Amino acid sequence: MNLNTPGSVVFENVVKKYGEVTALKALNLTVEPGTLVTLLGPSGCGKTTTLRLIAGLEAATSGKVIIGGKDVTHLSATYRAVSMVFQSYALFPHMTVRQNVAYGLTVKGMNKREAAGSADAGLEMVGLKGFGDRLPSELSGGQQQRVAVARAIVLEPEVLLLDEPLSNLDAKLRRHVREEIRQIQQELGLTAVYVTHDQEEAMAVSDRIIVMRNAEIAQEGNPHDLYERPNSAFIADFIGDANLVDCEVISTSDKGAEVAISGQQLLIPNEFNHKGNAKLVLRPHHIQLSDGGEGFEGNITYAAYLGNQVQYTIDGALGPLFVITDITSNPFSTGQNVRISFDPRKARLVAG
Amino acid sequence: MKKLSFIGAALLASTVLAGQAGAQELNVICSNEQDWCDLMVSNFEDATGIDVSMVRKSTGETLAQVRAEAGNPTFDVWWGGTGDPHLIAASEGLTQPSGADTSELLGWAVNLAEISEGRTIGIHLGVLGIAYNREILAEKGIEPPACWRDLTNPAYAGEIQVANPNSSGTAYTELATLVQVFGEDDAFSLLQEIGANVNTYTKSGSAPSKAAARGETGISIGFEHDMVKLKLAGFPLEIVSPCEGTGYEVGGVSIIQGAENFDEAVQWVNFVLSADAQSAGPEVGVYNVPSNSNAILPDEAPAVESIKLIDYDFGTYGSSDTRARLLARWDEEVKPQG
Amino acid sequence: MKRTTGLWLLIGLFGYAVLPWYALKRGFWSFEWVSQFGQQISASALFQVLNFGRFWLAPAGVALLVAAVLLTMNNPVKRSRWTALAALVGLIMTALQGLIIVRGGPQAFGDFFAFGGMENGQLGFGAGAFVLLLSLLFVLTTAISGMGKGRGDAFVVGLIGLIIALVGVFVFFPVVHILIRAFETPDGFSLTAFLPRLFSSDIWGLGCLSGTSCGPGINSVVLAILTGATSTALGLSFALIFTRTDFRAKKLLRLLTVIPIVTPPFVIGLALILLFGRTGAVTGLFADLFDVEKTRWIYGFDGVFLAQVLSFTPIAFLVLIGVVEGVSPSMEEASQTLNANRWQTFRYVSLPLMRPGLANAFLLGFIESLADFGNPLVLGGNFDVLSTEIYFSIVGTVADASGTAILSIALLMLTLGAFIIQRQWVGKKSYATVTGKGDSGRHSALSKGVKTACYATALPWAAFTAVVYSMIIFGSFVKLWGYNNSFTFDHYIRAFGIKHTAHGWRFSGVAWDSYFTTLTISSIAAPLTALLGLATAYLLVRQKFAGKNIFEFSTMLSFAIPGTVIGVSYILAFNFPPIELTGTSIILIIVFVFRNMPVGVRGGIAAMSQLDKSLDEASITLGANSFTTVRRVITPLLGPAILAALTYSFVRAITSVSAVIFLVSAKHNMATSFIVGRVENGEFGIAIAYSAVLIVTMITVIVLLQLLIGRRKLRASDRVET
Repeated sequence: MNLNTPGSVVFENVVKKYGEVTALKALNLTVEPGTLVTLLGPSGCGKTTTLRLIAGLEAATSGKVIIGGKDVTHLSATYRAVSMVFQSYALFPHMTVRQNVAYGLTVKGMNKREAAGSADAGLEMVGLKGFGDRLPSELSGGQQQRVAVARAIVLEPEVLLLDEPLSNLDAKLRRHVREEIRQIQQELGLTAVYVTHDQEEAMAVSDRIIVMRNAEIAQEGNPHDLYERPNSAFIADFIGDANLVDCEVISTSDKGAEVAISGQQLLIPNEFNHKGNAKLVLRPHHIQLSDGGEGFEGNITYAAYLGNQVQYTIDGALGPLFVITDITSNPFSTGQNVRISFDPRKARLVAG
Repeated sequence: MKKLSFIGAALLASTVLAGQAGAQELNVICSNEQDWCDLMVSNFEDATGIDVSMVRKSTGETLAQVRAEAGNPTFDVWWGGTGDPHLIAASEGLTQPSGADTSELLGWAVNLAEISEGRTIGIHLGVLGIAYNREILAEKGIEPPACWRDLTNPAYAGEIQVANPNSSGTAYTELATLVQVFGEDDAFSLLQEIGANVNTYTKSGSAPSKAAARGETGISIGFEHDMVKLKLAGFPLEIVSPCEGTGYEVGGVSIIQGAENFDEAVQWVNFVLSADAQSAGPEVGVYNVPSNSNAILPDEAPAVESIKLIDYDFGTYGSSDTRARLLARWDEEVKPQG
Repeated sequence: MKRTTGLWLLIGLFGYAVLPWYALKRGFWSFEWVSQFGQQISASALFQVLNFGRFWLAPAGVALLVAAVLLTMNNPVKRSRWTALAALVGLIMTALQGLIIVRGGPQAFGDFFAFGGMENGQLGFGAGAFVLLLSLLFVLTTAISGMGKGRGDAFVVGLIGLIIALVGVFVFFPVVHILIRAFETPDGFSLTAFLPRLFSSDIWGLGCLSGTSCGPGINSVVLAILTGATSTALGLSFALIFTRTDFRAKKLLRLLTVIPIVTPPFVIGLALILLFGRTGAVTGLFADLFDVEKTRWIYGFDGVFLAQVLSFTPIAFLVLIGVVEGVSPSMEEASQTLNANRWQTFRYVSLPLMRPGLANAFLLGFIESLADFGNPLVLGGNFDVLSTEIYFSIVGTVADASGTAILSIALLMLTLGAFIIQRQWVGKKSYATVTGKGDSGRHSALSKGVKTACYATALPWAAFTAVVYSMIIFGSFVKLWGYNNSFTFDHYIRAFGIKHTAHGWRFSGVAWDSYFTTLTISSIAAPLTALLGLATAYLLVRQKFAGKNIFEFSTMLSFAIPGTVIGVSYILAFNFPPIELTGTSIILIIVFVFRNMPVGVRGGIAAMSQLDKSLDEASITLGANSFTTVRRVITPLLGPAILAALTYSFVRAITSVSAVIFLVSAKHNMATSFIVGRVENGEFGIAIAYSAVLIVTMITVIVLLQLLIGRRKLRASDRVET
């Protein structure tokens, strides 16, 4: 029984077409061994197709798929050292939990007793010791999910694929399980590719995030990069909450860009070399509000007091804004006029 | 992939190629009653030691199969059933002369051999007749028929059952008989009139008499040996030989062209024509008239002497042309439109 | 891939160089050919080429050689392409020489060729040819998968290739023989005469609207639609009672729904006559009670319809029970939590989810009704349907091959139409309800209205079935059914007597031979049918490949063609080299397998479309190949479908009559052909007694199968909410 070491995943110009429909436009990506990379994007963006191409459940129309340095483009799923956790878990309903987990090992030829032993070890790792003899239907959703994870990891795959693994769980459980998945991945040093449409989930578990849109990559980077330096309004909006304020770039220099917003001019210190219309990304907690003084005019249309923070919706010179502040004493009330200001260093210019 | 090879091997094992055995054997296709077939086979096996494989099929099915198998037949000899299909097979070259001795046979049996140039020989005679269920007729208070013409009596409305000559040889014999007795035009107008009383034109020739036996219909037209058998089984059936004269079928035996076991087939033909073999019929309820003049007639058999038999012209009425013409006219004038 | 190809090449070489190429007189298993090695009659193809100058057998060997040489090529895609070409050429050349160089020749090719070796001809394919063709086929499919087709899955491509080859040889090849005759006229062949004849008013006349009679085509359609709809509705009632109520006598009900399937032909018709005929028991009762005229209403549409619904409701039930069971309880629970009441849940959730099952049940009922010829034969009266017309155009007083073909094509058109409509109706919606998520819910109980409707339809029907069968059992114990009702064992003794003679115990009954033959052949045919049917269903549901629709249709074809036509076409096709099978038991097995396979396919499709595809995908990504996935994941989840396919094909092999009537031979006679002979002869007693024994036999086997295969266990308990 030779199990695998974590491998890399490389796509070279992979195209996938279903008849007339292009599901993936020439995709290039690299997943380093031992990292967890998330494919993030709205539904229909091609993230699941990408995952299935790695698994071998779909064949690329053109291009190369390389796993662990080996070209597997024409290799069927059976022979790829890749396991997958399905959105629906896909537990075999006629097998016990132990048989489910041991399945991959036995089809590879491990003898039954040894496989059952490994399966129990896997179940212990996901906290389901002693559940081996049950049928999947006798487990809760969270437990089933963990069985699915255990079933995938006992094979010690080169790459572990997770297709929206948390989408069927409730919110609390979701946080708990995603931490577990991350822990297990790091403990075993697995290469993992994780598909989700939930940016918070993506931020929480990933080493790197690949954001996809319209069958291609919109931006990739670590969570911090994506949040702080989005390269498009789409990314800014998709990763975390963002206010997109219309502005006009008047001039650019190595110090930054001179921008006109609502009649005022500001220097935004980030590289930008297009003049004309653009958008300024303002994160909700980077906006300061005050009773008076400097700043843009605004009016509170909605205020929500959440204990540790206050959330405001504001209408005014910058258009509708969403603001979060942790100054919880003396919150503004609905209908109150305020002044809006922000630190230009924390603002970010993106193409309009 | 190994598994696929295994499936292949399994398929192989299951599909591999049986062959036919050698030794002294004979394949018989029998269109007589099952018991008669069984009895004749066992008697023949006892007499000759030849191993016989026999299957029973109706004449229509047999002719269809013999046609389909032409050139590479799986059967050697075809025994029983009305003479017409035997004659058709002979005229299509599907059967071959057996050269059997016909000296002991009755005239109508030899006649069949002459028409077919020895390819088929008569084995028994079946007379066409009318049967009625005496209980039904008594219940309805209707007089039983005695002649073909009586069947036009309006009192029999919805009580007569007869087969469709397109599917049944029996019914074709009836059609040809009436044409020979009354002349073609009169025969058809008679059939039309009778048709007004017919409730069903069945597909099978023996069905009407069975229906009459159980009282599903009052009157049937068919072969008398079928009726005798039903009557002896205990059904309230009475048999009438029409006063105008009636036709008959001659059962045949033929050797299939290209038969693998020709010699054994000839032995079979000689055997079934022998007086001893033919006399065994009544043991299993077979009441047609045997063709060997020395065979012993069963008591229950229709007494041929007392029946007015017509001189049935097998040559003319067995030919495909006449047949097609008469059937077309039957479809046109007699076939029910409602 | 190389290993697989190499293995098949070795097998092929064995077939080509060692095994006797031609069919042997005494059969392969006598192993006479081992001692006769080197004689022309039992020589392998290699020897035929080298020693006996049969050069036309050489291409197959060359193909093997080329494929073997190609194994040394390194580029896998190129190698696969050339190997595929070599194997394909080898296959075609071998098949062609077999078809062309024959003496008698199948009529379809009779006059087209003149060729060396024609004068002497050659014998039919034997073990060597069979092994070689099979190995070339798999070399071809393996190579095709190596080219990246079918996601590179050699098992899947091999399976597709095998099924196409089998269907081609055992469905298309024979059927072409008979359909080609549709273009035959007295003066030769004509294309222009074909359409007017096909659409003539003889077949499609609407006379019954204006007081005369309709054409058999119209009769068949009306009958088939009504039978299909009624049997589906009744089948659904039974299935619902089974899965969604706490009805107490379920076991009894199950028996009553199964018995009609295991009833040999003619028997139901005979029983109906005895009940409802003019002198029938029920008719007499009514006549006495209400002083009504005794009529012959049972003969005609009414009787045939009644008999067909009796016969085919169980088939609908078998198809539907799996489907009804498979509807995920959580979907019903979801509906109820959305404030739908039980009726709304049933109407808007459960029923639509059963749609593929309903469509399949209807399609089966429809086609069965079209093809059925036993019931119309007994009860039809003057009501003509296509199947009986076809039968009598073959066995009637005037043989009309061309008319047979035209009628067959008419029947085929109807079946094809039903098939297409069914596809439209089921559409492309997803009906997967057995997902990988464990499902612990309970099936919702039926609403009062639905429950009442089910009971009100199913129970009287069950009672009616029970009466019909009591009549049958009664009939086997009386002297003269319907007339002399004194008790007797005679029929059983005559059929199944066992005597003690000087040579020990002997099966002296007249029925024993055909009984044993029937059981043997059915037991061989049933698993093969189930295997082939479910394999086809698997390909259709789970795999994508070009020409899938045509593939699906062709697997349904043999079911759509009436048995008699199949029977005759089999004789036409397989009585001559290259495939010489008439008179053997193999031809019976084959005809059963390919005629009944469509039921396995339909059942398999219905069941499999309820299994979430991610289950297969999970298995595959866990490193299992397609074969293991089929074996360990799909097969266990298809328990009911497998059971249904096995049961159905076993039973059909025993009870079908139309296809075998031309194929039974002296050595291999079947029970039904024996029974038909007795019925024709008016010996109802022995026919019924034999039928009763067959029914008991089949029920025993079905119960054993059920115990063996059992039910799939998906939920901790399959309870119904009460």
